Amino acid sequence: MKKVLLALVMTWCFGLLGTVFAQTPVPPAEPPAAPAAAPATAVAAAPPAMITDADIKALSGPKAEDKAKGDPGGTITGNVADIPVGDMKKGLTLADVVNQIGQNTIAINFVWTLVAGFLVMFMQAGFAIVETGLCRAKNANHTMMMNFMVYGAGMLAYWLIGFAIQEGGVGAVSNLGGTAPLSSEFAVKLFGKDFGLWGMNGIMLRGSTYDVGVMVMFLFQMVFMDTALTIVTGTAAERWKYSAFIISSIVMGAFTYPLFANWAWGGGWLATLGSSFGLGHGYSDFAGSGVVHAVGGLTAMAMGILIGPRIGKYTRDGKPNAMPGHDITMVLLGCFILAFGWFGFNPGSTLGASANGNLRISSIAVNTMLAGMAGSFAAMCYMWTRYGKPDASMTGNGLLAGLVAITAPSGFVNPTASVIIGVIAGLLVCLSVEFIDRVLRVDDPVGAISVHGTNGIWGVISVGLFADGKSNYAGAWNGVPGSVTGLFYGDGGQLVAQLMGVATLIGFVFTMSFVLNMIIHAVMGQRVSARTELEGLDIPEMGAVAYPDFVLKADAMGME
Amino acid sequence: MAIVGLVITLLGFAVAVASLGMASGNTVRLVIVLVGILVSLGGIMGVLNQAYMKDAIWKK
Repeated sequence: MKKVLLALVMTWCFGLLGTVFAQTPVPPAEPPAAPAAAPATAVAAAPPAMITDADIKALSGPKAEDKAKGDPGGTITGNVADIPVGDMKKGLTLADVVNQIGQNTIAINFVWTLVAGFLVMFMQAGFAIVETGLCRAKNANHTMMMNFMVYGAGMLAYWLIGFAIQEGGVGAVSNLGGTAPLSSEFAVKLFGKDFGLWGMNGIMLRGSTYDVGVMVMFLFQMVFMDTALTIVTGTAAERWKYSAFIISSIVMGAFTYPLFANWAWGGGWLATLGSSFGLGHGYSDFAGSGVVHAVGGLTAMAMGILIGPRIGKYTRDGKPNAMPGHDITMVLLGCFILAFGWFGFNPGSTLGASANGNLRISSIAVNTMLAGMAGSFAAMCYMWTRYGKPDASMTGNGLLAGLVAITAPSGFVNPTASVIIGVIAGLLVCLSVEFIDRVLRVDDPVGAISVHGTNGIWGVISVGLFADGKSNYAGAWNGVPGSVTGLFYGDGGQLVAQLMGVATLIGFVFTMSFVLNMIIHAVMGQRVSARTELEGLDIPEMGAVAYPDFVLKADAMGME
Repeated sequence: MAIVGLVITLLGFAVAVASLGMASGNTVRLVIVLVGILVSLGGIMGVLNQAYMKDAIWKK
């Protein structure tokens, strides 16, 4: 059985590799050849017709009696009569029509981005039940509450200052009609170039940032930030003091996350590596493998090291004990919810569905789906081959790993590359979980470091390898004309930019997270007492258990 | 030792950033950035984590 599965996976992987590289050098198709001799009767092309205000005024909507009959076919609803008139004295003009087209474009982008943001918000529910299902029943209330309140605590911190640090200097986002008030970035000179460090407009969304475009940006970026924060609760689950968790989340939402997000997305120094130092299109992270997932995963790693493993996780000689979660149905349901939410995460990161190459949302959605399922398939095969059973929780983690890895490259790669990225992510998450558990001996109850940290970094690197140069978002990315192109398609500089991002994540973000949490630990302690941990965190920390019936049943059976 | 681990981790980041000023060729920059990443990983896994493992709860 093992050999058959192994052979199947290897054949599939090699087949995919062959396919992706075979796609590389295909030249663009020649346009259809013109007829050898044009017909003698051909008429010279007529000059383009000019539309005037008079033409517009000549248009009329459907008659009142027709509308009164109803419109079951939908053929007369929505017409010239629905275009708002700027000046009633002049009536409908060409300017009114053109303005309406512009507003429709922005409206489509607003609605798209907001709905995508709502989907990402729903991912919090997915994270909550995945993490709770992977923890023991005696800590279910505590784990659920951490996932619930990380949303509120992080959001308030982000509104207070985090958003300003991240996006305060991003400048005009054309898809959202401008966001011109976000125009102030603090920068220093290094190697003769500007290094943008943090934004300065948008504190509490006051002043000129009380703006419709800025609000869309805030909502979308805020739910991304909360995703990063909730990753940490998984690693520190079953032993994290609730009050310390609140403070740690506020600090991360206010400073740690926004700072790196500014460097990558807010016009900071990583984004400008292309225009300043000729490194491809600068650090390119389409939807946040690095910004969201690696920041969350590395902060989780810092917390895992800092507060140490759960009691009973390791024997005295350092061998790990399995501590299974209490509800695998919750885990897999949560994975499905997360996969659904990811359709907001990645396609929504275009910040629009109209104009500027945004129709690529279709391929981004397909890439997302493919990589996720490739990840779960690879993880399932690995576990089946290595341990004899298709482990459910690791199959779920394989799905998440594939989704995490495709998040950065989703806007820049083709479907074949997406499957390769997903397969590697699925294998990587299994190997990483084993390494962190057995070699590093960092206790991670839900595998968050491997899913989000390891695969977040893999996603960032994969942009530098697989970006195929076919995407076209308004003709430029990070201020560099053309499309993001990876090493396999001819631009090695892009890989260097991506690795610079990885070095920043591992070297700077991890250190910053560790130091800030070390300070919190020194001031108030981050870990519950051994007695609380053994008893379960629900009663001592939250005052109520998640499943009272379980306790009653245990009492009835004479069990503690 | 934990502080030393953090300093080494941060040093790896500094090495990577320094590559922007030290070299103009992408290959050289690539090598320097990779060195920086390895230094940071060494700081986390080799020094910082080991420092915390000395007092690990399962050793008590």
